[in-house]
Formats: sequence, structure tokens, C-alpha cells
Amino acid sequence: MNTVNVTVNLTMALTIGGLYAVGFYLLLQRSLMRIIIGIVIVGHAANMFLQLAGGPPGRSPIVGVSPAEEMTDPLPQAMALTAIVITFALTTFLLALAYRSSVLLGHDEVRDDVEDRRIRRQQQRVDEREEPDEPGADRKFEFGTDNDKEATR
Amino acid sequence: MSEGPPRSQPSGEKKRRTSLWEEWDTPQEHWLLVGSHRDGRERSLLLEVAARIIFPTVLVLSLYLLFAGHNRSGGGFSGGLVAGQAFVVRYLAGGPMEVRAAVGLRPPVIIGAGLSLAVLTGLAPIFWGEAPLTSAYVSMTLPVLGDVHVVSSLFLDMGVYLLIVGVVCDLLRTLGAGIEEQSPRPRRRPSG
Amino acid sequence: MLLLVTAHLVLAALLPTVSRWLGRWAFAVGAILPAVSLGWALTSLTEVLAGGTVDESVAWAPVLGLTFTLRLDILSLLMIFLVSGVGVLILCYCVYYFKPDAQSNSRTSALLVAFAGAMLGLVLADDLFTLYIFWELTTVCSFLLVGQDGNTKQQRRSSIQALLVTVLGGLSMLLGFVLLGEQAGTYRISEIVASPPAAGALTSTALVLILLGAFTKSAQVPFHTWLPGAMVAPTPVSAYLHAASMVKAGVYLVARLSPAFSDHTPWWPLIATLGIWTMLIGGYRALFERDLKTLLAYGTVSQLGFLMVLMGAGSHTVAMAGATMLIAHGLFKSTLFLVVGIIDHQAGTRNIDELSGIRRRFPVLTVIGAIGALSMAGIPPLFGFLGKEAAFEGFLESGTTGDLVVLVGLVLGSALTAAYSFRFLWGAFGTKPGVEDSSAPKPSLGLMVPAAVPAALTLLLGVVASLFNALATTYAEPYPAGDHPYYLALWHGFSLPLLLSAVVVASGVGLHLARDRVVRLGGWLPDFLQAQPGYERTVAGLDTVSYAVTGRFQAGSLPTYLAIILLTFVLVPGSAVLTGGSMPEELRLWDSAVQVPVAILVLTAAIAVTMAKRRMTAVILTGVVGYGIGAFFVLDGGPDLALAQFLVETLTLVAFVFVLRRLPSRFTQVESTRSPRWPKVAVSVAAGALVAVSALVFSGARQAPPEASEGFVEAAPEGAHANNVVNAILVDFRAFDTVGEISVLAVAATGVASLILATRRARRPSAAEETEGPRKSREVRK
Repeated sequence: MNTVNVTVNLTMALTIGGLYAVGFYLLLQRSLMRIIIGIVIVGHAANMFLQLAGGPPGRSPIVGVSPAEEMTDPLPQAMALTAIVITFALTTFLLALAYRSSVLLGHDEVRDDVEDRRIRRQQQRVDEREEPDEPGADRKFEFGTDNDKEATR
Repeated sequence: MSEGPPRSQPSGEKKRRTSLWEEWDTPQEHWLLVGSHRDGRERSLLLEVAARIIFPTVLVLSLYLLFAGHNRSGGGFSGGLVAGQAFVVRYLAGGPMEVRAAVGLRPPVIIGAGLSLAVLTGLAPIFWGEAPLTSAYVSMTLPVLGDVHVVSSLFLDMGVYLLIVGVVCDLLRTLGAGIEEQSPRPRRRPSG
Repeated sequence: MLLLVTAHLVLAALLPTVSRWLGRWAFAVGAILPAVSLGWALTSLTEVLAGGTVDESVAWAPVLGLTFTLRLDILSLLMIFLVSGVGVLILCYCVYYFKPDAQSNSRTSALLVAFAGAMLGLVLADDLFTLYIFWELTTVCSFLLVGQDGNTKQQRRSSIQALLVTVLGGLSMLLGFVLLGEQAGTYRISEIVASPPAAGALTSTALVLILLGAFTKSAQVPFHTWLPGAMVAPTPVSAYLHAASMVKAGVYLVARLSPAFSDHTPWWPLIATLGIWTMLIGGYRALFERDLKTLLAYGTVSQLGFLMVLMGAGSHTVAMAGATMLIAHGLFKSTLFLVVGIIDHQAGTRNIDELSGIRRRFPVLTVIGAIGALSMAGIPPLFGFLGKEAAFEGFLESGTTGDLVVLVGLVLGSALTAAYSFRFLWGAFGTKPGVEDSSAPKPSLGLMVPAAVPAALTLLLGVVASLFNALATTYAEPYPAGDHPYYLALWHGFSLPLLLSAVVVASGVGLHLARDRVVRLGGWLPDFLQAQPGYERTVAGLDTVSYAVTGRFQAGSLPTYLAIILLTFVLVPGSAVLTGGSMPEELRLWDSAVQVPVAILVLTAAIAVTMAKRRMTAVILTGVVGYGIGAFFVLDGGPDLALAQFLVETLTLVAFVFVLRRLPSRFTQVESTRSPRWPKVAVSVAAGALVAVSALVFSGARQAPPEASEGFVEAAPEGAHANNVVNAILVDFRAFDTVGEISVLAVAATGVASLILATRRARRPSAAEETEGPRKSREVRK
């Protein structure tokens, strides 16, 4: 295994950075298909990153074909392989979601969260009216009740 | 001589524009088309015949990858994925019926068989008093084949292979045929 | 000891099943374990009195140094008398108190036993974290017991208030524990008390935080309002939790830490001020209550203030007084609560204005109640008197001004105590003009006996004063005794404490006789000083603030949330990488010249994806990116990996195309109208740049070749009989991960199947589909 200079070379670093940037940009979109493509691209970049952790290029890690000093690191390759397969599983699942969303809703856009919007609208209404909210108005209560009655008669 | 792109003309309805996808999808040359149509879709002679020829070869390649994986490049994943591609080619050529013709079992059964094989391979060492997932090595001399070395992790690889084949067939069944069944079927006139 | 505590919890888990067969006798079954603990404590009595302790320790995370340590010493022994002794009485009382077929019996019995176990663990704990765990267990039990089945608003409000206040204290106490443990270098209480850390800012902060926890648990002002509110629970529960044991936990903690910390700066002033103020406020409020139980609740608040002062003082005599009052209060309070329970059970009401003539109807009950009330007032020859005398003597001894001020406060508080004790006696047993005499049925023996036992003990320990002396002296040992150590006795001669006691009783009688005028004062306090509205305003304020913050920051849009996550990623780890990491010295441009064109291809395709208008274009370009990555894998020397990448990319494309058949061919154009693009571009470019920089920095930080990989390469031919090391790792060395991976595949396939095929069902009836089909597809294919 090459241990002399294991840093990632500039080209690869740029590639990874560029792919991540593209992937993040796509993830920030509204269309579900673009988001899925973004996930796929980020997945590719991540697998690349993983494999690069094994060091600079070398010969394939097969005993008998390449001498041990020139082999690339097999462990990140195995991890990246697992990651590729799992990303594939995730992608198919997301595609099924996109399909279902388009069938049921007619579009594949990611809409805003309903509950958060409700709170935001409520907050805006309160701001506009400048009324103090009285959520504690019904909080006064008296002590002492007849709980014992329930259990004891 | 070729016809123009076929237009879908359901009787009594307005002419509707076909999408680019449909235009690409439908074979246009006359000599590529088979006379009868199946499931309301056109059949392409070239694609179907090529698919039937390639299919066994690809499967043999996938088996090679499976068995060779331990000592050369390959392995259960690559083998299973290649075998899956073979089924994809058949699907593209002939639709869900082609895939069903190729594989008699339902895909979830194949998935289950693969997973069971892998897990049982993992648990088998317990019966010999070892920890799970220990691999065993058997080396024997068979009359015709000569020296044969078998490692028990080969069976794990086989389980992975089966599972991946099953997963791909399942995807063909759901994402492929399932979506097709739910789409409104474009009514096409059989050409020529 | 740990076995005893665990046995309590196990029994509590089994009790619901037991109560299904035995009904209300499950309470009696539950009383077995507290009885066993009490017996065990009594057998250890002689050993503990001689100054020894019983220790037990179980290491549950030895690597971190975390152990369950339990320790029995005199303070724990005294508390066990209360926890287990009173527990036995309460559980026997419950057998006759609750309706035989009440639904809640199984729940109440299980929770009471669980609480007894948790309390036992709390008083035996010698490790700060063990103490905390049991502390919070008691909070949970209290929450569940006060809330009952949560049917009425009162129950829910009171239980939530109790929970919020005590958990607030508990969390600050935990923080204080951590600080204290770090300062002292150990988490064992006995070691901390033996050699306390030096006084300093951190230690003082730790002590204040711990005291906050003690104050909330023991209902000191301004946290006291949860205790009267908790009276919605049935009377036996109130008697056990909120009079005899749980509320004593704070006092216990103060007593535990006092020998070491009573001379640290924040300790005594804080305790003295709040304790005295609580005693006065509690007594004052008790004078206006019409419900007997609430009167006793406020009385408990007041007495807890008293106990806090006694336990936190740090002098020999006062410590003896503290031990005496601890037991005395437990005994008379439980008596009084049980008596109120009997009155309520028989007569149907607890209101002073409706009770009359109980004295004539139940003479024995009157005697029991009188013993309890008079002990509370501090009348000789009862046990409470001994404690009060010792307290007065203790604060007179030193003669410092501070102590004298405290003494004045204690005298005032005791006067109020006497007043409300007489009020209790008059209210429960007196004859009121205009109210007809009660005609309640006689209470059963099963109710009377548990109420009579503590009363008898009060009388006994008071009359034979020397019985308790040994225990009190052993408790006060850590404090220097002086030449003539105090001893508990009924008669010390004509001394100042005796005079003070007389003054107290006289003013108490006077206050009670003038009750009409006092009642007209009406319990007035300025609104901002009142604690209950303060609590309500705090909780309401939290609601308002959370609405405001959520409404402003959580806009609900997914891109916004992702952008915030990315920005945080850029800012926080990014700044760490940029400041802490260093770029490697020599940077290679490329490792193999072929990498450059492939990189250009990949990047161009990726950027083109962002600009693609048609879905199909975007998908195909993604495929190009994927194949380019596969080419990189080939160049980097990973043949298996490259194979898998190419194949998987092909399948991904196939899956994409399958789904694209159903979607419109172009992307919808909504984004350009919604928000500008440049913030998204900026954020993503920044994040991508950070990843690139991190890749360079991290990879340059490696010092040595990885050992695991070398090990795998060496082990592959022999261990796995494989030459392909990657394959050997996948199916042999890390086969478990592979099995997990294929399970994920199977699950995903199943998920896809259910999503796709279920849509079919969602779109029935299929007959309408035929006619509607083309129309719908026309909408979709805009």
C-alpha cells in the first residue's frame, strides 16, 4: 500500500467539491425529481470520497496479481461497494415515492409543511393585531377537590 | 420506406400531441415491426431476437462472475447485477410477459430464497460449534473436474446473487409493469 | 441493599397482576417489602449506632468509573424509618380506604410500592448519580400518582405543575452534582463529605444549583405551590408522598451535605432566609384554609421550611433538633393525614364549615388526632415538643446576631404553627354553631390502627425522652459538641427555651381565638409576590415565546431548512477545519493524466444537470456522471468497485426511466418566481468548497498506514482462502455487514412494491378510469 503521499490530488478534490456543490444545489430545489437526482449525485460523490480515503491509485487488491506494496486499500473499496448498493436501494424507493406523489397529487413538488405554515400565519395575525395573546387565560384553578370521593365511597 | 410517427387517434376524441417519450419509444421503421401486437404495444423484431440471443450468454457471464469472484474480480454483487441486466433487456424487448416467461417464480420468492440462503450460511457454523459466519474450506479431488476447492462463503455469495436477481425482477414487476398497468393505455393502431 | 430496592421495583411490576386476583389486598401484599426493609433497618440499628456503616457497591460501567454505591448510615436509617415504616402503615390503610373494586387500585398499589423502592434507593445512595436517578424516579411516581387517571383538569394541571417544578430543580441539581463531582474529584458522597473541595466560585455555583433542586423538591418558597396543588391525590398518597417521604428528599439532601458545606458562603444564608420565609408563609396561608387537607398541606410547607433551617445550620444541638423534628414531623403528619382521610371517608366532607360534632361521635379518633395536632403545636409531653425545645436551645447557644434573628423567625413560625394546629383541632373536631352534628358511620379498625400507631409512637417517644437520644446524638456526631452536649429531655429546668415555648403556645391560642379577625385579613399578599400566578405566567410566557420563535424561524419550507443545515455545516465544522486543520505541503495536481479529462467530463455533466429543462436530459446526464465515477474507480485500481458502479448506474437509469414515463417531460417552472437562485447557489458552492478543503486536510493528516487493511490483505489468502481481498472482506471478514446490506435491498424492494401497487388501489374505481383516463393524462402532460 502506498504510504508515501496519501493526500487526495487536486483534480479529485475539485471533482468531489464540484459534485457535492451540484448535489446540494439540486437538493435545495422544489421538484422531487431534482431532489432525487441531487441525492444520487451526492451519493456518487460520497462513494468517490470514500474510495479516495484509501489513498492514491494503485493496482487492484488481488493477491497474486499485484505485489502488496502497490495495492490500493481494499477496505474503503469494500465500504464504497456496500454504499453503492444501498444508495441504489434508496434511489428506487425514492422514485417509487415520486411516482406515488405524482399519481395522487398530480405533481411532484415538495410543498411546505402544513403545521409550520399554520403557526406562521397565526403568528403573523398576532403581530398585525398587536394583541397580547392570552394562552394562560384559563389557567387559574383552585386547590382541593374531591378525588377521594371517586376512590373511596 | 418509413411511415411518419404514428399518431394516437382514439375514435371520437380530439387528436392529442404525443410526447417525446412516446415518439422515441415507438419503433418507426416498417421492417423493424412484427405483424401482430401484444398488450397493445408494438413489437420490434430486432430487439426481441437480439434479446433472446444475448440472454443466455449474459447469464453465463453472471455465473462466471459469481464463481470467479473469490479469486479474481467479480463476486456475488457483480454477478447478480449482470444477471439482473439480462432480465432488464428481456423486459425492454417484450414487456412483463417476457420476464414472466423467463423466470417462473415470483420475484419476492427469489428474494426470500436468496436472503434465507445467505442467513443460513451464516448460521450453519453453529451446528459445528463455531461462531456464526465462520467460513469453512473444503478441498477435494473429483474424478472429472480435478482439484476442487470450495469455500463456504461461496454460498453466501450465491444468496446475494439470488437476492439481487430477485430485487431486479421485482423492480421490473413494480416500477415497470406496475406503472404500465396504471397508466392509461395509449391506443395505437397496429401499423401496416 | 440493591437487592431490596430492586425487589421493590419488581414487586411493583407484578402488583397489577396480583391485584386482579386479590383485589384490594394487593396493597397488603405490597406492604411486605417495606416491612422487610424496616426489619432489616432495625437489625442494623445497633451497628449503625456504634458508628459503623453498611456499604454495598455494584459497578455498572467500570470503564467510566460509574458505580451503584449504597450505604446505610444514621441519616439513612432515620429516613428508612419514615420511608418504609410509614409506607407499611399507609399500604395497610389503603386496604380499607379504597373501594374494593376500584379500577385504579392496581395502578395505585403498584406505584406506591415502586415509589417506596425508589425512595429507599434515594436514601441509601452513596453516589451522586445514583441519588439523582432515584430522585427522578420519585418525581415520576409522584407525577403518576397525583395525576391519577388524568380525567379532570385539576389532576392534569396539578401533576404537570409538580412535574415541571421538581424536574426543573432536578436538572439544576444534576448540573450542580456534576460540578461538585468534578471539583471534588470523586462522585461518592461519603468521600466528598469527608474531604470537601475548597471553597471557590465553582463550588459555590454547584452548591447553589444543588440547593435549587432541594428547594423545589421540598416545596420552599417560591416553589411551594405545587404541594397544595398535589392534594388532588387521594389522602393515603398525600400522606405518604407529600408529607412523610418524598418532600423530605430535599431536606435529606441538605442534611447529607451539611457537615461538609455548612460553612461555605452561599449555604447557610440561602437556606436560612428561604427556610424561615417558607415557614412564615406556609403558616400564614394555613390559617385561611377551609379544607382540612389543604390546611395540612400548607402546614407541611411551613414545617419543611423549619426542617431545612434545622438541617442546614451545622451545629451540634441544632442537628439533634433536626433529627428529632424529622421523625416527629413524619409521625404527626402521617397521623393527621390519616385522620383526615378517615373523616373524609366516613363523613364525606373535609370542609371545616360542614363538620361538626365529630368529637362526640368518634372519641378515639379525636384522641388520635389531638395527639398529632398537639405534637405539631409543640405541647409537652409529646415528641414535637422535644424537637422544638432542642431547636430553640440550639439557636440560643451561640448568641450571634444571625442566630438570634433566625430564632425570632422560628418563634414566629412556631406561633403560626400552633395557631393552625389549634385551627385544625377546632375545624375537625369542634362543634360549630348552626351546623348539624355529623351522623357518620363508625370507621373500621383497619383504618384506625394505621392512624393510631404513629400517634402512639409520638406519645411514647415524647414521654420516654431518652429513647431517641442515642439516635439524635449519633446523627449530630460530625458537628463539634462542646463541653456539655445537649440531651433530649422533657424538663431542662426553667430555661429560656421553655419560656419561648410558652410564648409560642400562648400566641397560638391567641391567634386561634381571634380567628375571625384574622380571617378578615383575607390572606392578602401583593399579586407579584404570589407564587402560583408567577408559575402560571411563566408557563404561559413559554408558550407565547415558542409560538413567536417557531412562527418566525420555522417557515415550513424544505429548501429553507436544508439551507440552514448547510449553512451550519459551513460555519461550525467549516470554521474548525479552516482554523485547526492545515493543508498538506505538497499537492499533486493529478495522479494519472487520464483523470483530468474524466474529471472535466463529470463536472460538465453535473453542471449541465442543474440547467436541464427536461427530465430525461437530467437523468441521462446523471448517468454520465455515474459512468464517469466508474471510470475513476477503474483508474484508481478498484475493479470490483468499478464493476458494481457501472452496473448499478445502469439499473438506476432504468429505474429512473420507468418512473419518468408517468411524469411530465419538462420540469415545472415554479422556482424562478418564488425565490432568487443565487442564495441557493452560494450556499451549495460554499458547502462543496468546504468538502473539497476537508478532503485535502483530512487526507493530509494521516500519519501511518492503516493497520486494518494490511491485516486483511495478509489474512485473505489463508483465512478466507481468497485472493480477491475486497470480496474476502465482503463475504468473509465483514459478512455480517453484507447480510445487512442485502436486507436493506430486500426491504427497499418490498417498499417499492407496496408503494406502486397500492396506488392501484388508491385509484379505484377502475371503470371510471377508462373514460377519465385520457383527460387526466392530458392534465398531467401539460
